[in-house]
Amino acid sequence: MLPIYRTVLSALAVFAMLTASAFAAQAKPEAAPAAPSASKKVSTADHHKFKELQKNFRTGPEVTAACLICHTEAAKQVQHTKHWTWESTDPKTGQKRGKKNIINNYCTNPTSNEKDCMACHAGYGWKDSSFDFKVEKNVDCLVCHDTTGTYRKLPGDAGHPVYKRTEFPKGSGKIVEAVDLRKVAQSIGKPGRTNCGACHFFGGGANGAKHGDLSSSLQHPSRYLDVHMDEKGLNFSCATCHSTSSHQVSGSRYNISAAVKGAPHIRGKADDSPAACQSCHGNKPHPQRMARLNQHTDKIACQTCHIPEFARDDIGTERSWDWSTATTMGPDGKPMVRKDSAGRRAFDSKKGTWVWESYVIPEYRWFNGQSRFQVIGDKIDPTKVVKINEVGGGPNDPESRIWPTNVHRGKQPYDKVNLTLTLQHTGGEDDTALWHNYDWQKAIKAGMKAGGLPYSGEYGFVETEQTWPITHMVAPKDDALRCEQCHSKNGRLKDIQGVYLPSRDGNKVLDTLGWTLALLTLIGVLVHGGIRILTAKKEG
Amino acid sequence: MLKVIGGFVAGVVVVGVLAYSLMSSLMFREVPSPFGVEETVARIQQNIQNVGNGWALSGLRNPGKAVEAAGGNTLPVMMIEACSTKYSAPILQDDDVRFLSILMPCKVSVYKKNDGKTYIGLMNAGLMGKMFGPKVGEIMGHVAEDQAKFIQFDASKPAPEMIKGTPGATGGGSGASAAGGC
Repeated sequence: MLPIYRTVLSALAVFAMLTASAFAAQAKPEAAPAAPSASKKVSTADHHKFKELQKNFRTGPEVTAACLICHTEAAKQVQHTKHWTWESTDPKTGQKRGKKNIINNYCTNPTSNEKDCMACHAGYGWKDSSFDFKVEKNVDCLVCHDTTGTYRKLPGDAGHPVYKRTEFPKGSGKIVEAVDLRKVAQSIGKPGRTNCGACHFFGGGANGAKHGDLSSSLQHPSRYLDVHMDEKGLNFSCATCHSTSSHQVSGSRYNISAAVKGAPHIRGKADDSPAACQSCHGNKPHPQRMARLNQHTDKIACQTCHIPEFARDDIGTERSWDWSTATTMGPDGKPMVRKDSAGRRAFDSKKGTWVWESYVIPEYRWFNGQSRFQVIGDKIDPTKVVKINEVGGGPNDPESRIWPTNVHRGKQPYDKVNLTLTLQHTGGEDDTALWHNYDWQKAIKAGMKAGGLPYSGEYGFVETEQTWPITHMVAPKDDALRCEQCHSKNGRLKDIQGVYLPSRDGNKVLDTLGWTLALLTLIGVLVHGGIRILTAKKEG
Repeated sequence: MLKVIGGFVAGVVVVGVLAYSLMSSLMFREVPSPFGVEETVARIQQNIQNVGNGWALSGLRNPGKAVEAAGGNTLPVMMIEACSTKYSAPILQDDDVRFLSILMPCKVSVYKKNDGKTYIGLMNAGLMGKMFGPKVGEIMGHVAEDQAKFIQFDASKPAPEMIKGTPGATGGGSGASAAGGC
């Protein structure tokens, strides 16, 4: 090819690309400006240079005391957050919730197990009910601000980091190195995926176990798994959406914005719902040529179409936890552990039986953002499945949308006389710890005593269910649910009531009338046409 | 006479239409599995290793991973590959039917569908073998008998561990050809 032609062709190609991108930009719906890259370092301070951080810290609280010399209000702010209090109040009903008050479907409740559970508390030293929530130096700054990835907190240390080289789990031969507190303190920064993921990816005691849409696969995700967090693409950190103000992190499992309306606004704006899709995409997110889809936004949550499956990785998520098989020993009479075919925990004499699944099809429900949780001491009906949280909403509620959910099933111990879910003392080396002596009776007695609850001495196991609205692992737009995946007899929304869904719903009488009319029209046209042809031939 | 010819033609047409519409279900089978994808794979792998007749695992592939690498999503699909030299050797040694090597190794597909359930996809080796003469027909008949045993599950036995990758393979390319006895 002659060079001149090549040059002309290249110029035309560039022109075509520019024109196409200009048209594409016009076709795009209104969108908020891009967030600054999470990886860009914007700090004006080098913490290595601060004298206060050039000490050989022996404990976490010593580091916090140093942080507070400059960041005077930080601890006070943290102490007002759920990350510190483990408590949340429903603004509409006043119900006290949070990890401290609810009984979840996994490890159940931290009462009497604080030394273990507080590995995920943003604080130091919460080992029992005597923990003082006002002591500022007990706030753990490093767990959220470490950028070295070396800061580790293990179960059993009441939220303190690893101070000396430790074998964990005991007897495993795996060694966890002591944290170099000075190095970590000098290397602090904005929270990244590792910080949030240390707890939120591993909740429920295993990678991916709890949420279904959060696991370590989001540490370095590719485009297929999450378009926003795609490491080679937008590369959002958790905090890009979950923006904070005074250490209050927006977006909560307890107060979900189920039906956010209006146009998009600037990402990062600390209003009541910056973590919602609408904050950036608005409630008319589709281009004009797909305007029909925009009419769905008053009934369907964005997540319903754009998260076609969750746990889309080999890690998977836990679908059920059956505590009733805990304390069952192996054939040799000793505690045993068994894994499933994919190498995930399937049975442990300490904890019971688990079922896992990858690429899970969600269960769809009406949801208005309101959940009523089962809290400590609530009465239950053991003849029915106990709902750990009742998801509110319905077809006639304007605040409701159809949401994809992860429904986790389980079996938990309960008091057969008082009809309450029980608290049990699981972790520890003492004689009442379930994981030490495998005695349910002693474990429940100790747990209920620590929680100040009456215990009749009779326990059984009841079926339970916890529902998680799904919101992470957003797929690329090309992988959103296709129309027919919902608009069909046995489609994704086959169990959703209270809304007319073309192709799923129909009125037999109306359908018959319509088809009869269409048939009669066809016959009429054929007869009329036939007569015209015949008469024309005769006349001709 | 016209009626006879007409009847014959009509018969041929009906048979043709039937054969066309049933072809896919005759050549391939889809069976629901009572287990999840990974457990189904692991149990089939175990059955293949226990069935005898020279059967060995050749590999486990996940074509969905390529789709994911390209940025797309697909529900999981796992391809279990197995081979038996007892059955492959006579075919590979015969010039007339060596082209049937494209059907090797024998594949069993395990996948999830939009109903959330796991399914097993198999080729109807018995029927397909009959299309290539008595020798291949007989061999493939035995393959079909063993295939049926691959998907017989004993739920009372604990789930075995899934065997990932290509057993026995030390590298890619032709180096992997020594794996699985084929």
